[in-house]
Amino acid sequence: MSVTRRRRRRLGRVPRRILHMLVTLWAASLLVWSLLALAPGDPARRVLNGRGVVDPTDGQLAAERLALGLDRPAWERYLDWLGGAARGDFGQSWRTGRPISDELAVYLPATINLTLAALVIALAVALPLGLLGAATAGRWPDAVIRVVTLVMVSTPAFVIGVVLLYVVVLRWGAGNVVADGTWSNAWLPAITLAAWPAASWARILRAGLLESMSATYLHVSEARGAGRLRLLVTHALPNASVPFLAVFGVSVGWLLAGAPVVETVFTWPGIGRYTVESIIARDVPVVQAFTMLAVLLFVLSSLAVDLLSTTIDPRLRERGRPAGSMAGEAAR
Amino acid sequence: MTAAPVLVARSARAGSQPVGVWASLLRHPSGRAGLAIAALLALVALVGPWLTADPNQTSYDTQLAPPSAEHLLGTDQAGRDQLARVVAGAQATLGAALTVFVLVGVIGVVVGMVAALAGGWVDSVISRIVDLLLGMPSLVLALAIVGTLGPSLRNVIIALTVSGWAYLARLARSHALGAHDRPDVIAARMAGVGRVRIAVGHVLPGVTVQVAIAATMELSAIILGLSALSFLGLGVQPPTAEWGQMLAESRFALTQMPTLALGPGLAVMLAVGAAVLISEALRDVVDPAWRRG
Repeated sequence: MSVTRRRRRRLGRVPRRILHMLVTLWAASLLVWSLLALAPGDPARRVLNGRGVVDPTDGQLAAERLALGLDRPAWERYLDWLGGAARGDFGQSWRTGRPISDELAVYLPATINLTLAALVIALAVALPLGLLGAATAGRWPDAVIRVVTLVMVSTPAFVIGVVLLYVVVLRWGAGNVVADGTWSNAWLPAITLAAWPAASWARILRAGLLESMSATYLHVSEARGAGRLRLLVTHALPNASVPFLAVFGVSVGWLLAGAPVVETVFTWPGIGRYTVESIIARDVPVVQAFTMLAVLLFVLSSLAVDLLSTTIDPRLRERGRPAGSMAGEAAR
Repeated sequence: MTAAPVLVARSARAGSQPVGVWASLLRHPSGRAGLAIAALLALVALVGPWLTADPNQTSYDTQLAPPSAEHLLGTDQAGRDQLARVVAGAQATLGAALTVFVLVGVIGVVVGMVAALAGGWVDSVISRIVDLLLGMPSLVLALAIVGTLGPSLRNVIIALTVSGWAYLARLARSHALGAHDRPDVIAARMAGVGRVRIAVGHVLPGVTVQVAIAATMELSAIILGLSALSFLGLGVQPPTAEWGQMLAESRFALTQMPTLALGPGLAVMLAVGAAVLISEALRDVVDPAWRRG
């Protein structure tokens, strides 16, 4: 294959991936919007109930239906909603009557703080644990790490959260029971949110490193006198980084899904807790907005990971996916 | 179809013999540990309720009692025996998790087989839907579904099923397509056996084993998702006991009686831990390459 042809194909890849992303987003929007149609009960009644009108009259209901545009055909309402959603306008909350975009703007910074802090903690824990585990495979440090990470992936975030709340806040008097969403308060919820990805990343990294270590060319390096650590860091780590990146991308979705639980435990003023409150109040437009936001972030992170992977590993440009079971795992 | 065939390709030998998988699982150390814990939990769920007090019997004389001979794990805010509730919770949590497990498995096998067998536009439509579902974070989707249908155990089961079957369907489809060139399938075709009979007699058993293995690997995520949704108050509704929901209630008594959180917390950890151990052992058994190193 000539150099020019290869370059043209690589350039074509990015627009193709972006197009794929937009199609996924559109399909997700269709799914999320149709959830509203599946929601039991009369939306007009719910909106009025949300505003404190406990027993609306028929006239009020009819007026509200008109205001919500429920008399128009479904496709028209969908296009309206989609147009708004594309501009970040998800309509108004049934519960408070305020625009959802305003409310999200209030809650989003706290969730971003929390998620970023959790990402940093998880990486800072997973990388050394994974490397150490692979470096000492079969000996006691590896065994200890395997048991510790097993306990960590088996412990739901809400259990960790409740334990930390009890031990650190109630027993030691550190931290706050009611967090205000700023960095100084983020460490307890961030640790809670980070525990699961940290442990699962460490395990995946260890397995990936060991799989890379079994490659034939590493036997050559070893025969030429390279130490185990050198083999791991300079040879196995770059090879293991691609499947690790794929898992990392999927984990962004996990962190977003974990946010409601952790934010509820620590009464963290983020969109996760806001969404849970909205679910309990049956405030469907807010749930739609949260879902679309999460899908958008998930799709964006998948795209970023995909482009980054192909930059790291040129083999992927030809075959589309890395070989080996790690990729199969990660692609879920 | 990019990712799924990996498990299939590597496990063609072990996967086609369910008995072999079971036997090797019992020989594998973490498989044995996981199965032992799972058996213990099953025993507790099945026999436990006969031995413990009524989990919903409230008693306002003994609210938040510390652990004692009468109430081994103490009593909760309504004076209910916490041990009895943990045991009753085993039924709720594990029952719901197994329901989701069976539902996603059956839907995955059926949809995947139909896609592979029908081909054409049916296959295209199914594959696009599967791609879409896999392109969304599954717990967020589950949250959205519960958020729309309203909080209840039934809706949580629906939500986890809808968000969980797609990967298994993709796996079943690729495995069924892969069977097309297998010697026994070719032989059956040459002998004049019909398409449907080949599908049911030759392809279905292997596909079912593959999906069962993959679904078992998802079991820990199912239990985690289920108890997390219940913790948020979106799943099992009071007064029914469920571990996630009990832990949520115990938070409010954390200052007076922290031991209340112990039972449900440890129970969830045991259940998820068993599922993780079994899935790790399964991975080793169906894919010996993982064991090296």
